[in-house]
Amino acid sequence: MENTAKILVIEDDKFLNKLYTDQLRREGFEVSMAISGDEGLNKVMNEKPDLVILDIVLPHKNGFDILSEMKLHAHTKNIPVVILTNLGQDSDIKTGLDLGAVGYLVKTDFPITKLGVEVRKYLAMKQKKQEDIGAARS
Amino acid sequence: MPHHQHKKRSTPEHDIRSEVTSIIAHQLKSPLAGIKSSLEVILSGQLGALTKNQQEYLHIALDEVDRMVSLVKDLLDAARIDQKELKLNIQPTDLVKLIKDTIDNVATFARATNASISFMPEGEIPLVSVDATKIQQAVNNIIDNAMRYEQGRGEIIIRLKKVGQKIIFSCQDNGIGISKEEQKKIFSKFYRGRKAIELLPTGSGLGLFITKAIIEQSGGKIWFESNLGDGSTFYFFLPVQLKKQK
Repeated sequence: MENTAKILVIEDDKFLNKLYTDQLRREGFEVSMAISGDEGLNKVMNEKPDLVILDIVLPHKNGFDILSEMKLHAHTKNIPVVILTNLGQDSDIKTGLDLGAVGYLVKTDFPITKLGVEVRKYLAMKQKKQEDIGAARS
Repeated sequence: MPHHQHKKRSTPEHDIRSEVTSIIAHQLKSPLAGIKSSLEVILSGQLGALTKNQQEYLHIALDEVDRMVSLVKDLLDAARIDQKELKLNIQPTDLVKLIKDTIDNVATFARATNASISFMPEGEIPLVSVDATKIQQAVNNIIDNAMRYEQGRGEIIIRLKKVGQKIIFSCQDNGIGISKEEQKKIFSKFYRGRKAIELLPTGSGLGLFITKAIIEQSGGKIWFESNLGDGSTFYFFLPVQLKKQK
């Protein structure tokens, strides 16, 4: 069931975008892609993906801005965001996590073959959180 | 008098250097990430089975890319040091554990190069306030040099002790040593000793430059004793007093 989850990949490097998108499709996910910050934010708002893979350095609007805007809207604030970037300094990681990203991966350190496992982990966490909220309400 | 055209030179030196750092980070790291990821996907067999020879060559390519990734990281650290932008995330740190972990991380390489590493902490070693990741990088650089620049069978002895308000680390090796005239240049950026180049032509000459900057920015000092052909001992100290993050 969770394998049909819809993932949005926001990455301006078209080769990397293809690599991540293909990898997730091979793992059975439905994948949408965006190659700029503006396009990414539009797709987040309109397509309501189950999870977003987000680069930081993007044209027009950077990843941190997108993350901040997502947190302002009720229908996007609970979408898990996994940052996948080349920025690996502690300060960048802290900013990303403080803004609400659920995961932070550095491109050259993270094996792409683990991307599916990583995405499934965060989708499972999201589902558990929703179930917990549902149980608390009932 | 000729009227000189006012040359547009509005970018301060700092900005130019920042731009270089950003070029290193993004223009080099992005294609490296692409090459590395492509190789990983092919090697995983997801796109079809590979022959043994194909696997072997792809592993070589992947190892080379990994080497380039660490070189780019070193260049990035060196650029940050030049710009005084090396940031430390200071936390109370157990140096004994940190050194044990570092030795564990290099265990495979030590076996491959037939080097033995022993660690002898003396007495109680209190926690110190440092950036554990960066100090581990410094310790790793020192041990890595000790393993690489060996002659015959490498024997490396690491010691750690508290003297007054300082924790003193030392790493003694029985390697090629450093000549007197090269000793004053050993911490310079990109500098590599003649013997070191003969033994390992591919080193970047950045390891000790970065190591020194990390130790000094952590409130410590680094030095060494060495004789050509007769091994080296690298030392650093870190202050015991818990330091507050700036």
